[in-house]
Amino acid sequence: MMENQDTAKQLKKLDWFEDLPEDLMKALVEKVKEVKLNANETLFSKGEKGEALFVINSGLVKIVTEDSQGSEVILNQLGPGEVIGEMALLDNEPRSAGVIALSETTVLELKRGDFMELLKQQPGIALSVIRNFSSRMRYNTSYIEKITEMSKLVAHGDYSFVDLARPTSSQEEDVSDQEQKIDRLLAEFFAMVRGVKEREEDLKKQVEKLAFQIDQERRKKEFEEITSTEFYSKLKVQAKALRAKRTDNK
Amino acid sequence: MGKIVSIHSFRGGTGKSNSTANLAAEVALTGKRVGVIDTDIQSPGIHVLFGLDVVNMGKTLNDFLHGKCKINEAAFLVSENIASSKGLAKLADQKLWLIPSSIQAREISQVLKEGVDFNRLNEGIQTILNELELDYLFIDTHPGLNEETLLSIAISDILIIILRPDDQDIQGTAVTVDVARSLDVPNLFLMVNKALPNIDRNDLKSRFETEFQAEVAGILPLTFDVAENASKDLFALNYPDHEWSQELHKVMEAILAIP
Repeated sequence: MMENQDTAKQLKKLDWFEDLPEDLMKALVEKVKEVKLNANETLFSKGEKGEALFVINSGLVKIVTEDSQGSEVILNQLGPGEVIGEMALLDNEPRSAGVIALSETTVLELKRGDFMELLKQQPGIALSVIRNFSSRMRYNTSYIEKITEMSKLVAHGDYSFVDLARPTSSQEEDVSDQEQKIDRLLAEFFAMVRGVKEREEDLKKQVEKLAFQIDQERRKKEFEEITSTEFYSKLKVQAKALRAKRTDNK
Repeated sequence: MGKIVSIHSFRGGTGKSNSTANLAAEVALTGKRVGVIDTDIQSPGIHVLFGLDVVNMGKTLNDFLHGKCKINEAAFLVSENIASSKGLAKLADQKLWLIPSSIQAREISQVLKEGVDFNRLNEGIQTILNELELDYLFIDTHPGLNEETLLSIAISDILIIILRPDDQDIQGTAVTVDVARSLDVPNLFLMVNKALPNIDRNDLKSRFETEFQAEVAGILPLTFDVAENASKDLFALNYPDHEWSQELHKVMEAILAIP
């Protein structure tokens, strides 16, 4: 059993609870339950009802879904300090992905009922949750705008921004999970654009020599057909006279 | 005396009218006095690029050929009707005239039945050069080698043959080049249009130049951008940085370089 102080420390890392007063934190810590998972053990599956959020205390988990053939697709890997399932706590939707431990893992579980109780007692938490969501929204929107602009450039064959912008994922310690996800999206987007650019350049390099053949006999025959008419003979004489006249006028 | 620039292609669909309109507009943008005459009486089309339609089209080349008006009465100053499109708007202060062909079915079939009076067409061309004091008169011709087209080749100072890089166009171009030589055309250029992006341009240029003994002035790519925009506006004026426009610009420079 872990120390309550450690639990408090983990919970304080979350934006939602960072400003929580001592007494409420104490109440919260009491509601939280530690869950141990063995490697390959499932925490929850996609489509299940979401009744709790989890904070990873130690170990590593993978977030998984299935592709159209039913094979597992790993969406993400998360480690200590990261939150899982917080959305389902608020919107009552089924789990959008499953979570499976990759190693021996401990998570802290906070049930919806306890969380809601806490909100009633301390409306300040609700405010902090709302504030947190709206700043995430603002942050996400600004990136959606950025990616929209960049997509437009790519559509017009302009890839210049990939060489100018910061493409790498941020390694700073204090970035939130959300920022990391956006960084990953940006990194993937840049990788995609670079891939498209390279393939396009390769395609341009694969030049082909045009194969063509002129039927010289047909060429001669057609030329003779055109130039053997009376009209043509007259035209040739007229054209000559006209050119001579135009040269004189210069 | 102004120069007559005939634009020709052996088959239809090479982008001839579109290229002619854009070339003429580019030349006009350099401050030259430019005329465009649509001698494609059977299937006129270039008027659309200059914003003319059945409603605002006044006198035409057909009226002149039938003795109903003087040639300069059929010359339409493009800057007077640049209303809606962005590319055309750039021609606001330029001297660019279009002598359109009639788009009335009745008048087209009349010409097809009666044929064109060459002396009259020739007289009109020479008159308009003098009266409008043109530096360049572009002639948009009917594809193939019919009699009006042969006339426009015969009187041209510069002939630009547009071809796509395919066997049929290349074969037809060979015949046209021979005819142009036989008619003593002093300056002959080839312009390749609708080239696939992966074509070896240097190879194409050198082999065409060897085969035809004529300069390849530009190799314009096949692009959806042009296809989408064509017949709505002057693409090269609207998108001067596009590869298609840049290659067309080379053709314009070749024309301007002729003393």
